[in-house]
Amino acid sequence: MRLLKTLMITALAGLTAVPAIAEEKLKIGFLYPSPIADVGWSAELNAGRLAIEEHFGDKVETVFVENVPEGPDAARIMNQMAAQGADMIMLGSFGYMNDGIKLAQQRPELTFIHASGFKLAPNFGNFQSRNYESSYLVGLAAGDVTESNVIGIVAAYAIPEVIGMINGFALGVQKVNPDATIKVVWLNSWFDPPKAQDSARALIAQQTDVVYSLYQDTPSVVTVAEEEGVWVINTSSDMKKYAPNWLLASQIADWSSYFIASAQATMDRTFEGKPFWGGMADGTVDVKSWSDKISDETMAMIKEAEEAMRAGTFHPLTGPVMDQDGTERLAAGETIADGDLLGIDWLVKGVETRLPN
Amino acid sequence: MDVLVFMISGTLAAATALIFAAMGELVAEKSGMLNLGIEGMMATGAAMGFVAATVSGSYTLGFFAAAGLGCVLSLVFAVLTLVFRANQTATGLAIGILGLGLSSAIGKNFESMTLPGLPDMPLGPLADIPLIGPMFFQLDVMVYVSILLVVATWYVLNHTKLGLNIRAVGESPENAHALGLKVRWIRAGCVAFGGAMAGVGGAYMSLAYTPLWADGMIAGRGWIVVALTVFGTWMVPRVAFGAYLFGSISLLELSIQAFGVNVPSQLMSAMPYLVTIVMLAVISRNKLFIRLNSPASLGATLKL
Repeated sequence: MRLLKTLMITALAGLTAVPAIAEEKLKIGFLYPSPIADVGWSAELNAGRLAIEEHFGDKVETVFVENVPEGPDAARIMNQMAAQGADMIMLGSFGYMNDGIKLAQQRPELTFIHASGFKLAPNFGNFQSRNYESSYLVGLAAGDVTESNVIGIVAAYAIPEVIGMINGFALGVQKVNPDATIKVVWLNSWFDPPKAQDSARALIAQQTDVVYSLYQDTPSVVTVAEEEGVWVINTSSDMKKYAPNWLLASQIADWSSYFIASAQATMDRTFEGKPFWGGMADGTVDVKSWSDKISDETMAMIKEAEEAMRAGTFHPLTGPVMDQDGTERLAAGETIADGDLLGIDWLVKGVETRLPN
Repeated sequence: MDVLVFMISGTLAAATALIFAAMGELVAEKSGMLNLGIEGMMATGAAMGFVAATVSGSYTLGFFAAAGLGCVLSLVFAVLTLVFRANQTATGLAIGILGLGLSSAIGKNFESMTLPGLPDMPLGPLADIPLIGPMFFQLDVMVYVSILLVVATWYVLNHTKLGLNIRAVGESPENAHALGLKVRWIRAGCVAFGGAMAGVGGAYMSLAYTPLWADGMIAGRGWIVVALTVFGTWMVPRVAFGAYLFGSISLLELSIQAFGVNVPSQLMSAMPYLVTIVMLAVISRNKLFIRLNSPASLGATLKL
């Protein structure tokens, strides 16, 4: 259905791109899975693109195509970018992985950076954020402000990144408030704002007084929380303006430094296809807009944990950690390995909802 | 109790957009016009309504702008199929794609913006009845309008001369023409009504139900409308029942998940579609009845 629009945008991108081929500029193409708005995942990626432009000025030229459906359209657009002389391509969605890696193998002189995948090639790196770190911090706050002791999460799909975030969040909640129960509603859809809102309402109707909007790109859940007067935590950019009274905190990701470093490496021909895990320590992950209703005691705990994570002395997923069946997954003092986190398929004890099979 | 109120009032609201678009589509199909562009017309209505209401500050204006643009899009469809005798299926699909593109163009600068949402209109003392009040009588005005629309559509189609003319045109345009009916004008009018209602349904999504604009927010609801019309065998009460059933199951799915009942959530996500189709198919299993009710010339190119 979006084919026509994508075609038009591609044509436009093609037109604007033509005059640049003659010049000696590093040309970088960006593919975003959703439209760029003021907030959301694509907006965060686009902020990284703007940071590159600001940092390198005349030495780079960027083109982008937004709202690219995964599949043949994505393959066509990235091939077209390569054909028009792009030196580096940023792929902003998990589902672009297979087409991207195919193109990377055909065109070894190009470099690729890919969001949240797991496949690598010498010229194909990927990036993800240690969002579970900021999830832990907002979990502490959620455990503090809840009065009903019921906390609800609206989540898209049960992919490892999301599971890791739910676990980090739950461990944070339990640290402050061991009695709290955590419920999850799985949308099984990356994008359906009305359904996200209905899920939030369903949770609120069942005594939930803190809603965690996990990777909902639009302010859908946030606006419902503001309207109903329950606390809300948001991922992907700051949504304070959509819930001035009830936003507890916003988790954000800042890709600028990684994007700039990748562009620099492409220029210097030193690019390596490695996974990049950005966390609190390097400033990729952060929390903004803390509510002033969080108790001083908890806020002090949050700051302490934040400092420890920046210093690299604390990992939220540190044992003893039990899963939902009561099996010990991490022994006392043991922290989860990055490799295990990449394929995590269990939720911690205290989360009521099971994972979809 | 909260859950019950959420379910009932939520169902009424969830079905409202579907009701508007489905009543419009039903009238168009009764006149023999298969308009498959509903998804695009709803999306355009959602974008146009949101932009108009945001800029002007008036919800009324938003709904009228959405209806107007839906109407214009559907008239393009009408001209192509009635004047130039284009294939209805292909034209409808093309207009639908055009509508989706148009919606993202219109809403481009308003992406992810929000509105306060259409205020609720408590119906006097009825709204104060415990339990019943919050369920049925504290909803926004468009929910009540959609219920009136169901009654009006049913009455006009079955009990007025206009309804008889529409059905005659849908059954056999040749005979209707021979009887002196202006087949093209009647069909164009029905399609225009359908487009306007799809626009209003879309605007309900962006102005009242999810008061924000996000590209792609209609997320297939236009296709549900087309399916409801067919599975409801072109009968107003059945189509309306299907819309409410679909709305309630989609909320029930989320409520069950929120309860913490452990059922596979993928299955739950498919439930609204499965249940609605199975229910309507069971109700409408009488083949003779289907043949009696389906407009005989539906989707056929006009031979006049």
